Amino acid sequence: MALVNLTGIQPTQYTELASDTSPAEGEVVLVPFDRLAEESEAFFQTVGRVGVLVGTETTFSALEPFANKISFVAIDFPAFGDGRGFSLAVRLRKDYGFKGEIRAVGNIIPDQAQFLMRAGFDSVEATEERKTAFETALKRFPSYYQTDAIGLGQRSVAHVRHSAKNDDNTDAADTAKEGQRKAS
Amino acid sequence: MAKKPAGPQMFIANRLDDGRAVFLTANGEWTKVAADAAVGQTDEEVEALAVLAHGAEDANLVVSVTAIAADTEGNNLAPAHMKFAMQAKGPSVRLDLGYQVSPNWEQ
Amino acid sequence: MYAYDTYDHAIVNARVEEFRDQVERRMKGELTEEEFRPLRLMNGLYLQLHAYMLRVAIPYGTLSSNQMRRLAHIARRYDKGYAHFTTRQNVQYNWPKLSETPDILQELADVEMHAIQTSGNCIRNTTTDQFAGAAADEVLDPRPYAELIRQWSTFHPEFSFLPRKFKIAITGADEDRAAVKWHDIGLVVKQSDTGEIGFEVLAGGGMGRTPVIGKVIRDFLPVSDLLSYLEAMLRVYNEQGRRDNKYKARIKILVDAMGADEYARQVEAEWAKIKDQPLDVPEEEVARIKAFFTPPPLPVLDNDVPTVNAFADKNFLFKAWVSNNTGAHKVPGHVHVTISLKPHGGIPGDATDAQMDLVADLADKYSLSEVRVSHEQNLILPHVAKKDLPALWEALDAAGLGSANAGLLTDIIACPGLDYCSLANARSIPLAQKLTERFDDVKRLMDIGPLKIKISGCINSCGHHHAGHIGILGVDRKGEENYQLLLGGSGAEDASKAAILGPGFDEGGIIDAIEKVVAVYLGEREDGEEFLPAYRRLGADVFKEAVYGAR
Ligand code: SF4
Repeated sequence: MALVNLTGIQPTQYTELASDTSPAEGEVVLVPFDRLAEESEAFFQTVGRVGVLVGTETTFSALEPFANKISFVAIDFPAFGDGRGFSLAVRLRKDYGFKGEIRAVGNIIPDQAQFLMRAGFDSVEATEERKTAFETALKRFPSYYQTDAIGLGQRSVAHVRHSAKNDDNTDAADTAKEGQRKAS
Repeated sequence: MAKKPAGPQMFIANRLDDGRAVFLTANGEWTKVAADAAVGQTDEEVEALAVLAHGAEDANLVVSVTAIAADTEGNNLAPAHMKFAMQAKGPSVRLDLGYQVSPNWEQ
Repeated sequence: MYAYDTYDHAIVNARVEEFRDQVERRMKGELTEEEFRPLRLMNGLYLQLHAYMLRVAIPYGTLSSNQMRRLAHIARRYDKGYAHFTTRQNVQYNWPKLSETPDILQELADVEMHAIQTSGNCIRNTTTDQFAGAAADEVLDPRPYAELIRQWSTFHPEFSFLPRKFKIAITGADEDRAAVKWHDIGLVVKQSDTGEIGFEVLAGGGMGRTPVIGKVIRDFLPVSDLLSYLEAMLRVYNEQGRRDNKYKARIKILVDAMGADEYARQVEAEWAKIKDQPLDVPEEEVARIKAFFTPPPLPVLDNDVPTVNAFADKNFLFKAWVSNNTGAHKVPGHVHVTISLKPHGGIPGDATDAQMDLVADLADKYSLSEVRVSHEQNLILPHVAKKDLPALWEALDAAGLGSANAGLLTDIIACPGLDYCSLANARSIPLAQKLTERFDDVKRLMDIGPLKIKISGCINSCGHHHAGHIGILGVDRKGEENYQLLLGGSGAEDASKAAILGPGFDEGGIIDAIEKVVAVYLGEREDGEEFLPAYRRLGADVFKEAVYGAR
């Protein structure tokens, strides 16, 4: 597996915690949501950094108690058409101000790269062969019709059109770059 | 894949580039003429045709490969169900377009 | 009309390049069909029974004459010389080659058109009143808001993989010609007592297997909050809409399950959190878009034109056409003209390349170069001076476009059905052809009056049969085409669901049955009473008895 970096963050190196093991002191681990919910105190006392692995079906409010304790989140897409994962990332950023890494794992296609970045994801776990396709797709669209509500600083072309410093309409690519910079 | 029909079967697919409905022949080619299609009578025969058909799918020649019930009773071999028969004959409207006049008609 | 700026061009061109790349990868085998399918669907490319089908968006039904010419050119160059106008203000090509679709998309992009999100589980083309900006009964032109929605919904990062397709319709007139109550979201443009512009917001309408009429979830939404409110509506749906069963995945099922009040409550709660974020566009942007839709500079003319009256007195078909196919315009002395794509015996919604070119030329000559398409599968010239009607009609009639049947029984909506569509159970087109031949008499049609027949070839309901005064649904009955008869639906402001009358028929049987239904209406109607009110007053039983015999 390869990692596609969407926003230029420093990607987290973690161990996926097997179901019957306990984390070593100081270890960086990814824990399935159910287990974290049950044993949360233990994790947050012993371990160095904890990330949570959630499925797209997870209700965002279930993450509220952990949002300021966990340091990264992996959202697992059972199918790339399961768009709940996008809303989950948006909610984490928007409703809980989550600043850590959000990674997309599971079934994702390269053509979703820009959508993921714009919905608040930082990285995607992909196969080695697809890495280039993801990186190409990430640069595909020069500007966007939506402003984000999650602090990425992406401005819709509607805003760019009327902002003072962009009045000649020539560099549509600015919005995209700006979005990526702020996210990083 | 759709559930297997009972009785004699033929394979239908759409060509990758123009989407034209085509039928699998005994030598693994694809024909626009349903009457020239290969018919599998036994499970083994159908299985052998399926291997050919899916091979063509893997080679990106055709898409949407489907095993369908064959009507072998009339003079002409044809798909038994009206939907696949429609694919063999072309639309029942705009007969002036040529597709339906001759199955070998090309754009 | 809206005109693209450099941003719009850049985005649409990038989309064409993306699809070109995807098609190349598919042709080379780097993408499997399974991987490619959702990508082509996002660009409106289906695989149907005989070929691919490309669905092109006509945003809110507005076309320039140049765009219409380009559609004709595409039909000629890449297809078999015709195209099909659909019930969602889209146009479909039935025979494009996969390898040529990127070129078609480029040809479209060059005239500011696209096929983006005309399929897939995303926000589809926003539809509206075909007479927008022209009709005398209009409160406000809905098109600037439809354009705002078009832009906001294009490549939305969060809402491109919804549980199911999502359709928004908007109207700004007293009469609802956009069937807003039958959409996932319906918007009715309103002006408050204080002159503020906003929308009544409906949610959860839809057809298909479970027809539901949308419910009002907010009486008045200020226009400046439109996009943030839509964002909240879509978020609640995206998170909670069902994904386990495609027949239960539309928003109508969610709204029904949680209740419209609860859905509204959740939307309001989410909206309260985001409304102050810069999701909505700046006022200057609304003004910029509105400027593209300023009322056209038409001179006020006399409503009474003696030359037209004289021509009408000599020519009954022209007279009938004026009475059925033209409607009151905002500017005196003008009308909007419906060009019927329902010639008796013809295919509803089909137009040849030559007809499309002609309509473009006539739009240049008589309608400020503007054309509209309606969800009823007709073309419209929105701004025609009454004095030009005789010349216009003669030109149309010579090209087979002069049918005087707009709004009458033979102005039938029919989906492509089993002749083209891979999901179909039965054919729709031949039924429409035979019905229009059976009722091929304009005098009789005018005596029958307004009557909407809508035919779908399967339960997906693209032919809106649930909303037909008379609806017909094609089903597969033991391998034979069979047709169910429904009565009493409406897609207008008095929206209602049509009800199945009884057992289905074969093709000949359904046509006979419709003739019997019409006969009951003619016999029972009160003075000036139209079909739908008569049906509502009489109830189904008298029709049932006429069609199936006394029990
Ligand atoms: S209603 Fe059914 S048959 Fe008709 S176009 Fe839609 S999916 Fe096809």
